[in-house]
Amino acid sequence: MSDESRNLDRIQRWMQTVICWPSGVEAGIASEEAQSKIPLQSSELDTVITASSQLTSQERLGIYANAYYARLLECLSEEYPALVCAMGKTAFGAFSMEFLQEYPSTSYTLCELGAHFPQFLKETKPATEDGEVNWTDFLIEIAWLERVYSEVFDGPGIERETVLSAETLNSIAPEVWPELRLKMAPCFRLLEFQFPVHEYISNARQGNSPTIPEQQITYLAITRRNFIVRRESISQSEYFLLSKLEQGLKVGDAITQFAESGLMEPDELDVNLHQWFRHWMASGFFIDVCDS
Amino acid sequence: MLKPRLGYDNLGLGVGLRTVHFAHILEHEPEVDWFEIISENFMDSEGRPRSVLEQIAERYPIVMHGVSLSIGSTDPLNRDYLKKLKSLAESVNAHWISDHVCWTGVAGRNTHDLLPIPYNESTLSHLVKRIRIVQEILERPLVLENPSSYLEFKDSTMTESEFVCRMAEEAECGLLLDVNNVYVSSVNHEFDPVKYVEAIPAKRVVQCHLAGHTNCGTHLIDTHNGQVIDPVWELFQLLHQRTGGVSTLLEWDADIPPFPVVHEEVLKAKNYMDEKLHVSEKSFVEKAVANTSSTAIPHPASFITAEVE
Repeated sequence: MSDESRNLDRIQRWMQTVICWPSGVEAGIASEEAQSKIPLQSSELDTVITASSQLTSQERLGIYANAYYARLLECLSEEYPALVCAMGKTAFGAFSMEFLQEYPSTSYTLCELGAHFPQFLKETKPATEDGEVNWTDFLIEIAWLERVYSEVFDGPGIERETVLSAETLNSIAPEVWPELRLKMAPCFRLLEFQFPVHEYISNARQGNSPTIPEQQITYLAITRRNFIVRRESISQSEYFLLSKLEQGLKVGDAITQFAESGLMEPDELDVNLHQWFRHWMASGFFIDVCDS
Repeated sequence: MLKPRLGYDNLGLGVGLRTVHFAHILEHEPEVDWFEIISENFMDSEGRPRSVLEQIAERYPIVMHGVSLSIGSTDPLNRDYLKKLKSLAESVNAHWISDHVCWTGVAGRNTHDLLPIPYNESTLSHLVKRIRIVQEILERPLVLENPSSYLEFKDSTMTESEFVCRMAEEAECGLLLDVNNVYVSSVNHEFDPVKYVEAIPAKRVVQCHLAGHTNCGTHLIDTHNGQVIDPVWELFQLLHQRTGGVSTLLEWDADIPPFPVVHEEVLKAKNYMDEKLHVSEKSFVEKAVANTSSTAIPHPASFITAEVE
């Protein structure tokens, strides 16, 4: 690297440090990180950035500093609208500031900006002595589901795939079924929550101010059809069986484990299994069957 | 001999494609000449945004406009990004690919802002070298836009227009002249916007951008949030006279109105395309009332929100 390009590199590292400094431009300039690139006092800033007749050097640099957080906060707010609703704008803004320090964007796309936000909330959750589920768990679960919505919305889907048709299924001999494995759709997600966060999120995204729900174990099956994310509340039994199929168990083994789980009386099993599989197929949860 | 617009077509008057207008465009198929997309919003998409783009690309010419190339950065060029950019361009038959004369981050980070560089011989050489590499990878001329900026560096030894002109000639790339950016920067840095437009090598201008901005009293911010003001239309008129006409596009990214309003705004450009019209010197003055309490964000980011049922 030549001396000249090293100069540009130093200016860019210095400017990035200063405009991203959380407590403002002046503190950013004084920071050890910035000083290691370009050592100067705030009063000497015009040796790097010129002033205009209307604005000082610091004010001009401040426009970029303000824009950095404002722009990224706006993007996070758009990805996590229900979390904003639950936390309140001020608290969400404060958490976002901390998040951006911990997980600054390293991607060319803003779609990745908020990818680690649920993880960040989990990492910063205050420890509880008794491990009891509380308000912060509710917030983490909202963030988690909103992120899943984003990933499913723009990730791989089944719109261009041939999903399992009734003809294909009817052509499979009943005795073959136990040995088959079902291939899940790439947009399928199976999730367990401590709160009915899906209802809270839908309510908040409609512009309402929902109240915080009581704790209630909730199982969700998420998928995408016609490019719209669909979420459906399912029973613990459905969750159990779908999770075994998702793990790659043969249909027969999954049903055996389900029968042994005691989640359902044996006489109810047959009727429910038939209804569930019909519904799951129609919902596009599976895209293929394989016999190995 | 250099062809006008580097040989690219004059596509007419286009509109920046934004998600809030997807449904309207698909349903009504408005008589728009062409659309410009934000490349990064579609490069990795395997969902509705990409599907809608493919439907729109079947009916309308598409141009790709990026915000993360970071051609001015001292970080290595992101070859994976460039590969995806090229792949998307091939898939939607993009007429050309553009980005900005700026850097967006360093040390592996992305600020998602279009940050200015010092304008001097060293930075010029740095950019020219990188533009040539990008053009080799993309196998087509890159088209670069003059940014709006809010600060200048002591290390600059030449004006922005001189830098941009030399960059275009030496790297043999195209220019996307954003006349709103010229105007915004001219107020912020106290230079003559007419001289800027007059200095630009006309045949290298492939495209023109129009947009609204926010007057903060002491400075202007390129917010893309409203109508184009008269001084900017006058600069457009001057550019039109110099180039003989280039593909022209309106960007509207904040407080986005219904599609017909955005379309109507870009169609106003027709009023400034008469070769006989004289450019009025008096018009190059901001008439809008300053909004000193504005919390304006420069060129706001376009984030696509998930649709959930």
